Amino acid sequence: MSGYTEGIIILLCINGIAAMGVSLLTGFTGVFTLGHAAYMALGAYTSAILTVHYGLHWFPAILLGGGVAVLVAYGIGVPTLRLMGDYYAIASIGLGEAIRLILENWQSLTRGARGYPGIEPYTTLPVALTFFVIMAICMFNFIKSRYGRSFKACRDDYVAASLLGLPTAKIRILSLIISAFYCGVAGALLAGFLSFIQPIMFDMLKSTELTAVVVFGGLGSMTGTLVGTVVITLVTELFRPISQYRMLIYGAVLVVIMVLRPEGIMGGLNGEDLTRKFFRRKDHGGTP
Amino acid sequence: MATLLQQVINGLSLGSVYALIAVGYSLVYSILLFSNFAHGGFLVIGGYLCYGALKTLGLSIWVAGFISLLGAGVAAVVTERIAYKPIRERTRVTLYLLIASMGMSIVIENIFVIVAGGRFRALPPVIPTQPVHLFNIATTSAFDLLSFVVALVALGCLQIFLTKTKWGLAIRAAACDLRTAGLMGVNVNLLVSIVFFVAGALAAIGGIFLSVRYTLYPQLGAITIKAFVAAVIGGLGSLPGAVVGSLILGLAEMLTAGFISSQMRDLVVFSLLVITLLIRPTGLFGKQVGEKV
Amino acid sequence: MAALLELDRINKSFGGVQAVQNMSFMMGERDVVGLIGPNGAGKTTIFNIITGVYAPDSGRILFEGEDITSLKTYEIIQRDIARTFQNLRLFPRSSALENVMTAAQCQEPYSFAEAVTHMGRWREKERSIRDMSMELLQRVGLADRALQPAGTLPYGYQRRLEIARALALNPRLLLLDEPAAGMNPEEVLALNELIREIHKDFPLAILVIEHHMDLVMEVCPHIICMNFGAKIAEGSPEDIQNDPEVLKAYLGEEENHHD
Repeated sequence: MSGYTEGIIILLCINGIAAMGVSLLTGFTGVFTLGHAAYMALGAYTSAILTVHYGLHWFPAILLGGGVAVLVAYGIGVPTLRLMGDYYAIASIGLGEAIRLILENWQSLTRGARGYPGIEPYTTLPVALTFFVIMAICMFNFIKSRYGRSFKACRDDYVAASLLGLPTAKIRILSLIISAFYCGVAGALLAGFLSFIQPIMFDMLKSTELTAVVVFGGLGSMTGTLVGTVVITLVTELFRPISQYRMLIYGAVLVVIMVLRPEGIMGGLNGEDLTRKFFRRKDHGGTP
Repeated sequence: MATLLQQVINGLSLGSVYALIAVGYSLVYSILLFSNFAHGGFLVIGGYLCYGALKTLGLSIWVAGFISLLGAGVAAVVTERIAYKPIRERTRVTLYLLIASMGMSIVIENIFVIVAGGRFRALPPVIPTQPVHLFNIATTSAFDLLSFVVALVALGCLQIFLTKTKWGLAIRAAACDLRTAGLMGVNVNLLVSIVFFVAGALAAIGGIFLSVRYTLYPQLGAITIKAFVAAVIGGLGSLPGAVVGSLILGLAEMLTAGFISSQMRDLVVFSLLVITLLIRPTGLFGKQVGEKV
Repeated sequence: MAALLELDRINKSFGGVQAVQNMSFMMGERDVVGLIGPNGAGKTTIFNIITGVYAPDSGRILFEGEDITSLKTYEIIQRDIARTFQNLRLFPRSSALENVMTAAQCQEPYSFAEAVTHMGRWREKERSIRDMSMELLQRVGLADRALQPAGTLPYGYQRRLEIARALALNPRLLLLDEPAAGMNPEEVLALNELIREIHKDFPLAILVIEHHMDLVMEVCPHIICMNFGAKIAEGSPEDIQNDPEVLKAYLGEEENHHD
């Protein structure tokens, strides 16, 4: 396998992990975020600083990257998740940009806008794949459980959910924390892949990309999220040689998808149903 | 003391330019209930049209300005027709409009990157920028005064349009409930186009002034996010709110830059946003809508 | 009999409009009580106050002796109070089964770790939740439509689904908000039967808001009538039917009336 193909697969794993996190929050819990790249940034910088400056082994560093993202998410999530709809999305933009600006200006810690170089390239193919597979299994299991139902209830009817005894505020916070963890780990893996990170890599454009991937794959479908990740990652990579037009095409693709099929690839379809039909297995009737 | 006054004037000038952008943005929000992230694109279109008219065609600032307003207004209408109209006719989910607007924002920005190149361009110096002394207390530039005055005039015209004309009334009705306005006989599609035209034109004026202040480049539209913050602080959907929020933001930015540090400027902007959302999410003038259970 | 539910001088106004005035009443453990009154009388507001959706301006709600007035909604529901909605609040994209399971799952909790790994008690508890839910769907006649998205069910079935979902919470107090709304006389009769069955088979009290008098008079041995936010009459169906205040509320002033 060539180095280039390996790189693409690693990138797919990283983007997939981040996308799954955002998908849980957006597609399954109904909280729209345009600032999740900030959690990737937190994970990336935590891992970078811990491995480079403190010589910590990459494995705990990655997990701690996720951990820092979780802590920050919890801290800002508790007050802001009270906001509904558009207002939370706006807050997430503000918070995302604020975190990026803090990282840019805290030169002593993060070396500022010029970036943080010299990170050990610990994200090899086996590492990326292992993290991806384990985190994917956990996520798919998780949404097929009472938590999945609770999240969807909060998404579909917040009031009705609380009138079924569900602690909606706590549920939203849990969803945010898990999504932050996933993005933090993805960021940490990205740092170990590129060996160099800059705050500008985690700007609103990146956040939008994460949300767009989830919408593109179909809100409420984790399978769709992964399919969407594959498509968007491959398309952006394929167009890299003509990078001038790459962004233009990317923007146009976003518009076209929203106009033609906003429900996304898997919108209305269900990954499980399709797999079942494909393999013609009589299942005990999993819940959609 | 003189510095304080200076920064206040700077802040008001910057705020008034933000107001032009924020008001157009809030106008669209009040009708369609979504954040049009492509608004920055109209700003950039306005800037480049003015630049082109001045530099390449050698026209006077008045004509260039007019072309710029017209062009940006038309571009806004076109954007709405190709990207938003098909979506809003099919679904009420505003998230899809939001993402489409992000897409359009990227498209517009990158069209200019490809066509005009990413260099920073300075507008020909047709807008006076010489220093002006005010009552011997402070010095400001003619530019600041001019942008403030122009913004005032533009917003004044908008106010007259909204309160004294038939379409203005229709827009205010639609801001309460678009569907009902449609049921009352208002041509909704035409109304939306008019709103976008106005928003685009206002953004163009802002774009021209911002190009003078910061030079012109394709990513200039990113500054719209500050106008967006201003609109939220003032209350999404409220036009007076957008103006007040913009002035507050302009002042906050300039006072921070003057007395703390230039780098903290942007951080202060976003902190204000988060604080507003935590304390009073509907902003200064926004409406609270309760839900019937 | 000890009171299951007690409202003590509840007051609530919305921006100058007094929605509920000095409302007090009591219900026992197995009571079936009807709450009637013209539109806008404040009946749904009472439900919202009991379930913590609105906080009353003054007064207390006591459930089994405990003051639940300032509790959060989900805490109140967890104390075994359930309600249905005037305008239906199902989860339209989820199947009927999933709707009920979302309610039933609180009966069979399992840990976060078990949810993520699908090990431990996950399988057993999920099966239990599923069985419980299917049973309830069977009871309301929805067993064969279990996997259909709730939003696509015929209206009458949606109403039944809401009831099944509320029952999945294992309530001791069931609040039904206009369960017969939009139903034809046949469907109302079937609903009467269902309510009677539920009351027979489950140890609960039922408080029903209804406009269909054939339901209320048939099913509720005790009725409270409200108008303009206040209680204007309380008693048996016969008492209510003959109460002049009730007649005035529904029919307006009458010179002379006879029934």
